[in-house]
Amino acid sequence: MADLKEIADNLIKGNAPRVKELVKKALDERVEVEKILNEGLIAGMDVVGKKFQANEFYVPEMLIAARAMKTGMEIIRPILIQEDIKSQGIVVLGTAKGDLHDIGKNLVGMMLEGAGFEVIDIGIDVAPEVFVQAAKEKKAHLIGVSALLTTTMVSMKDVVKALKEAGLDGKVKVMIGGAPLTQNYADEIEADGYAPDAASAVDKAKELLKAVRDEIRG
Amino acid sequence: MTSRERIREVINHRKPDRIPLDLGSTLVTGIQACIYAKLRKALGLKGQPVKIIDPFQMLAYVEPEIMEKLGIDTAGLGLPTNLFGFKNENWKPWRLFDGTKVMVPKKFITTTDNEGNIYIYPKGDTSVSPCAKMPKGGYYFDVLVRQETIDEEHLDPWEWVKDQYSVYTEEELRYLEETAEDLHRNTELSIVGSFWQGGFGDIALVPGPSIKQPKGIRDPQKWIMAHILHPEYIKGIFNLQCEIALENLNLYYQAVGDNIDVIVVSGTDFGTQKGTFISPDMYRDMYKPFHKKVNDWIHKNTPWKIFYHTCGSVVSLLDDFVEVGIDILNPIQCSAKGMDPHMLKKKYGDKLVFWGGGVDTQRTLPFGTPEEVRREVRERCRIFGEGGGFVFNPIHNIQARIPIENLVAVFETVRSF
Repeated sequence: MADLKEIADNLIKGNAPRVKELVKKALDERVEVEKILNEGLIAGMDVVGKKFQANEFYVPEMLIAARAMKTGMEIIRPILIQEDIKSQGIVVLGTAKGDLHDIGKNLVGMMLEGAGFEVIDIGIDVAPEVFVQAAKEKKAHLIGVSALLTTTMVSMKDVVKALKEAGLDGKVKVMIGGAPLTQNYADEIEADGYAPDAASAVDKAKELLKAVRDEIRG
Repeated sequence: MTSRERIREVINHRKPDRIPLDLGSTLVTGIQACIYAKLRKALGLKGQPVKIIDPFQMLAYVEPEIMEKLGIDTAGLGLPTNLFGFKNENWKPWRLFDGTKVMVPKKFITTTDNEGNIYIYPKGDTSVSPCAKMPKGGYYFDVLVRQETIDEEHLDPWEWVKDQYSVYTEEELRYLEETAEDLHRNTELSIVGSFWQGGFGDIALVPGPSIKQPKGIRDPQKWIMAHILHPEYIKGIFNLQCEIALENLNLYYQAVGDNIDVIVVSGTDFGTQKGTFISPDMYRDMYKPFHKKVNDWIHKNTPWKIFYHTCGSVVSLLDDFVEVGIDILNPIQCSAKGMDPHMLKKKYGDKLVFWGGGVDTQRTLPFGTPEEVRREVRERCRIFGEGGGFVFNPIHNIQARIPIENLVAVFETVRSF
């Protein structure tokens, strides 16, 4: 019998090969794919996020757990698509124009994916209009912008502006983060949310997309 | 009191006649070229191209006339080879995106892509992949990751170390000896030696920006994961690096002797905005033994004070830092979680010298008003400066795009302490 808790436990330990094996085994035993996702992978990443927030896990532990999660996701993703199982929401993620620092952004992406969001990572040094374009094309519910530099964070307000100009404000939410960012700055540029770290970004995304999510889930 | 005497007072935790200042003695206490050009102008000096001493962070060479006007007490001693592996020599004109005119070394050879991004090359060799990129409109270069396929079964620490660290050449040692002697004899400044080789796992160096074809684990994200997946590889690298560092320290001491007061040992960042990158236990297992070896050698054989730079919140490592013999901590990122100036001074003020922490470079300096800057500088000087043990420097390098009024306010305010 497939043990979904074992998947979660191995994910938490960052044991990617074992997660891969167990997910395959669960599928072979005809466990519902949504169950594997929710009770195995998402449940595991949820613990990882909590441990990170509680200073039990640090960046290396988080990265290897996320790697294990990705290995599992790779196996079930085609089936999720095939069975038309909806994600928690679609997030377009990138770093601010001129900013090449992406470890923080990548961590946020992994945590969001691990919480059941569909993450479209559009990379580094992303122009405001490219964020908006990607959000339109991918029918995203949320744009996440990250920056490390004080010289580049200022372009975040242009993302909010470009979204307004495209008539998408309110429909697509904007969440910002990165070392020099604050809630004050988010308020100032009228971004919908700010998160101080990758684990909190999941909570914030869930909060921002609650209404949208209910709609998607029907 | 001369600048040298003043610094010697504070690094020995005695009260000086005024708070001493550093600007530009190291690659973590400097000033970016665009804002430096504005500072020159604000100080009433005529405009002239800014000499770039660090082409990575685009740091300016801080000229003697500026140092004098601002009352800077330190001089840096470093080798002329920069982070991209070529020498700072044979200067030529260049221009930054905002129009700032600068002077760069001959081997500062760049290419530009269709979008206007600029690329630079290791050792100035354009036949290999670029090692860093300045995005269009940017103010700095950022290191590019050139990660070859990793053979996880055959990771070789020496392959990683040999292109990064080597024993000083005779030419380098004579340069250090002569420059240190010259600065000691012809200035009254306190000399800060930029050694850096105790910077185990410095994330700016992991991608190997000076190396034409970096081998081994070079992607910072993979490097961080390797702390759990391949700890023996990481420790193997640190061990070899440590052996070279110890040999070089001996040579360095023979060359510069007591002419320097401070030695910059490490630039490895251990902190993020909210905590440490790795757990304190992992620090104790993987880094601390090497920090101890290097620092013990210095304390046993030299009179130098040991300077470590680490950004971020490192509250949970401070007791360990004291234990391994770190004397001076920089940049004291008070904007990171728990890095409260009162707590730091109260709990560690008699053990650590705070070299930095003068003003918040993430918020106040770029986005505050001059009055807010003045208030913060006054507060920091009062807290950190009490009884000595404080060298004024903003937190990390002074970044581009900050309002010049704010920077002027910083130096005007420090002057009253």
